[in-house]
Amino acid sequence: MKRSKSVKLVAMGTGLLLVAACEEAKVDTALFESVKQCTGLGFSEQECAANYQQAQQTHVAAAPKYTSQADCEADFGAEKCEIAPQRTTTGGSVFMPLMAGYLMGSMLSGGGRGQPLYRGAGSTNFRTADNKAVGNTIGRTQVAQSATKTPAAKTRTTSRGGFGKNARSPMRRSFGG
Amino acid sequence: MDRIPVEPRVDWRETAEAHGFRFHTIDDERYWDESLYYRFTLDQIENDLEDPTAEIEQLCFQVVERALSDESVLKRLGIPEAFWDYVADSWRNQERNLYGRMDFAYDGTAPAKLFEYNADTPTSLYESGVFQWVWLEQAIERGLIPEGSDQFNSLHEALTQAWANMGIDGTLHLACCKDTEEDEGTVEYMADCARQGGLETRLIYIEDIGINTDGRFTDLQENTIDHLFKLYPWEWLMADDFGRHIPKSGVRFVEPGWKAILSNKGLLPLLWEMFEGHPNLLPAYFDGDPAAAALDGDFVRKPLFSREGANVEFFQDGERTISVEGDYGAEGHIVQALHPLPDFGGNYPMIGSWLVASQPCGICIREDASLVTGDNARFVPHIISE
Repeated sequence: MKRSKSVKLVAMGTGLLLVAACEEAKVDTALFESVKQCTGLGFSEQECAANYQQAQQTHVAAAPKYTSQADCEADFGAEKCEIAPQRTTTGGSVFMPLMAGYLMGSMLSGGGRGQPLYRGAGSTNFRTADNKAVGNTIGRTQVAQSATKTPAAKTRTTSRGGFGKNARSPMRRSFGG
Repeated sequence: MDRIPVEPRVDWRETAEAHGFRFHTIDDERYWDESLYYRFTLDQIENDLEDPTAEIEQLCFQVVERALSDESVLKRLGIPEAFWDYVADSWRNQERNLYGRMDFAYDGTAPAKLFEYNADTPTSLYESGVFQWVWLEQAIERGLIPEGSDQFNSLHEALTQAWANMGIDGTLHLACCKDTEEDEGTVEYMADCARQGGLETRLIYIEDIGINTDGRFTDLQENTIDHLFKLYPWEWLMADDFGRHIPKSGVRFVEPGWKAILSNKGLLPLLWEMFEGHPNLLPAYFDGDPAAAALDGDFVRKPLFSREGANVEFFQDGERTISVEGDYGAEGHIVQALHPLPDFGGNYPMIGSWLVASQPCGICIREDASLVTGDNARFVPHIISE
């Protein structure tokens, strides 16, 4: 046979430029707002503190970054943002949301590091620095496996629109072919 | 090879919509056309199309090797000097290629002749790999075509497999331009294949890509882009404002930079120069090469970077007979021996032969009522049947 045995499509035709969430494996972990909350729920002091510190380190690198406080607060709420240690190329300030909690990495999810969590303006749900929702359960819970990955470092984008100028040339339905 | 009229499925439009195939009709003109199909024998497919495709791919690799050892070749191809090292590194680091489509003129008897190689941003992918396949399955089921018919089309399986083997750890970004429904469909389909290959994907418009303080490219959520499938030609990436950031961006591109050598009509004269007389190649020369006199006034002149037939000119006995408008050509031209597409009752099919990870894996046919396969050519399905 010279053709595919089957052609399965996961998400075609479900709307444009939105990646449909697939059924993803969940892993055991735990979420806390503070070290105190962590120890209060029976975890060791050492484990709670180590994960918190890891989360804080990752927070500085991976938290979403903004060049205006207003933009940051629009996403995370009034007085929920702080000045990041980074600077823009022109020396301006960079803003990022306050860490609202952390997700335990070690022990529970196979050796991962603790990572920071944030809450969007008006939301009770936690999100990772890569904007993956992980629910609002304090303590032991399950989250999608992908949410436990170390979030990407985020420096501030200084400009956009540097690609695509050729795409606006006329007389072309599509640039393939 | 025969052109056979067939009854379209009564519900083909609904089926297309249900499968996310939204560009079946473009500007009120039919693009997907199942009122006919082409029938091939297995010998024709395997000996006349599949084997030559695999063979030419290997010849192309020799052209890449040569271009990277001879800067004058890169210059003739119009690749900006600032990217010579980048292109060379992408080849030496064996950055993996995903796909491409060779276009052939083939009449069922004489050797297929390579018109060009769309090695960087080939389109018609979804309709080839998915909708053509669905048509075959349903057409057999409904008795519209002979039972036991097959199709040269393992494109979907090959793509899914190739993504799984791409060695990508982390997120794959996929980009196309805004306001191009057909390209959005292609990118969406590609993302689907990549997810089935086990990757995590994010879609972004090429215009929305940002550059950050570290010289890394970013998406709209400030994630750095590490792996980028781009349905946007290399020559445009290189010419764009952000092009200069590419070499230090740390991005693994699909297709890789070395495809800039193959997705260029300059490939055709280079192939001819190195493999003159190959049965599947047409004589071709860079414009202005005195050797082009061998074409004896019968040739087609094509810009190095033309797409969808734009700016192509036909010459017969030295006189220009057909000229297609467009805005390509500033970068130079090639000339290729005139070899008309086969005539099936006033219809001229061009056969696109797909490669995934450099292996032939299917064909698609686009049929036009003129000798130049332009962007109003119709896509028609095919079967293999003895």
